[in-house]
Amino acid sequence: MRIIADYDRCEGHGLCADQAPDVFDLDDEGDLIHHFDGAELPAEQEAAGQRAIDACPVAALRAG
Amino acid sequence: MSSTIPTYRPDVYSREAILDPYPHYDQLRALGPVVRLAKQRALAVTRYDDCKQVLLDDATFVSGRGVALNPVANRLSRGTTLNSDGEEHDRRRKILASRLTPKSLRSMREEVERRADAVVAAAVEKQHVDGVADIAEALPTSFVPDLIGWPQEGRENLLRWAGATFDSLGPVNAQTLRTAPSTIGMMRFARSVVRRDAVLPGSMGADLLEKAASGEVERGECPALMIDYLAPSLDTTISAIASALMLLAEHPDQWAALKADPSLIPNTVNEVVRLESPLRAFARDTEVGGVAVPAGSRVVVFYASANRDERVWDAPTSFDITRDAAAQLGFGQGSHGCAGQGLARLETQSILRSVVERVDRIEVTGQLTWGLNNIIHKLDHLPLRLVPVGEGE
Ligand code: HEM
Ligand code: SF4
Repeated sequence: MRIIADYDRCEGHGLCADQAPDVFDLDDEGDLIHHFDGAELPAEQEAAGQRAIDACPVAALRAG
Repeated sequence: MSSTIPTYRPDVYSREAILDPYPHYDQLRALGPVVRLAKQRALAVTRYDDCKQVLLDDATFVSGRGVALNPVANRLSRGTTLNSDGEEHDRRRKILASRLTPKSLRSMREEVERRADAVVAAAVEKQHVDGVADIAEALPTSFVPDLIGWPQEGRENLLRWAGATFDSLGPVNAQTLRTAPSTIGMMRFARSVVRRDAVLPGSMGADLLEKAASGEVERGECPALMIDYLAPSLDTTISAIASALMLLAEHPDQWAALKADPSLIPNTVNEVVRLESPLRAFARDTEVGGVAVPAGSRVVVFYASANRDERVWDAPTSFDITRDAAAQLGFGQGSHGCAGQGLARLETQSILRSVVERVDRIEVTGQLTWGLNNIIHKLDHLPLRLVPVGEGE
């Protein structure tokens, strides 16, 4: 599973990082960091990744 | 979605239903994924998955013909971000959100926390307070109008106008008729503020007018964008703060859990917005028909029902600050998902942080009352006793 982040749509609400802290983070500026951008998620991160997609309040994340 | 649409005859916007909507929502969810509201001549979507599907599919379910339940309000709110689609929406949303993202609110965090602590300290000093007037209203009204840049004159009307603007988005009933003059008052004032350049310096409104001066937005768009900032900025957050206090007072086990582990505060806000969703519902127009929903249908998305859908939530009516409530739909979802949620979260979390620090026990000491409003679900009065830390008997 891959997660595609729409950086333009992301407003930095950070709910993804709460759900999947090993996949997403916010940098010191408050901008989104996606540790697996363009890469497959490790199998053990898939459930958390899906929760992050579901929690993003502006639908900036999708499985791809 | 199924192909025959059941009909629901009771009025879900009657006085009784506004005060206690949940039994109606339970019945609507049980009837089917899409239910015709006989009284409103609209289709209700009340289950979590279907609500989310409608909100995410903004090409089929459009906002540009209005999200209200009556044509007058839909016409009056043209030009707002809430009421637009596609590229036009994205452009307006970017302008609004640039000042509302958690990133741009960072510099304000300490200031909001300080104000919240002053509000809570004053309430604790009094011990017996109205959780709505003394706490929930006190914080947002003390700085949000400054942040948006609303001039001092006309402030006394703000809460009434903002509440009326929400009311006017409901179906035509006694509520919408009674509140129409206030809605129009707010729009007129917004227009005159823009015309006279009367916004406070350094505010979001001042930013907006600078963008108009440099041609980034049209000046004619600015009054509607000021309404976008202002109308949803007060009652929504007031509702969340007051409901949080009520729920924590009524559930001593959850209060104890929060005292023991304040890191649960952010999720507590999610859980409060799930269980007592400040915004009941907004509508969409159906651009492209589907199996069950013909083109041209007015579809009403009941966030407050989705958030209690037994299909996705365990024990949906119980208040549990440890459940994963992040995917609740109380802030909407997708392209129109609440632009102000960073601010609402910051305010509500700041109040809870100070309450947890300063208060030993919260008790409801009298009759609480809910407000009458077509769109906003909010307490009007919440008599509380706050027992200060160190004075618990
Ligand atoms: C607990 C507090 C709040 C709740 C529950 C809430 C809820 C919502 C919901 C459900 C929507 C989606 C509307 C739709 O689907 O059409 C929304 C949109 C919006 N909210 Fe909030 N809101 C809150 C606080 C705020 C605050 C403090 C502001 C600050 C100005 C704000 C500004 C907006 C704006 C501008 C939109 C329109 C976004 C768009 O159409 O792109 N909200 N809100
Ligand atoms: S939850 Fe969504 S908006 Fe928030 S930081 Fe993550 S991707 Fe961005």
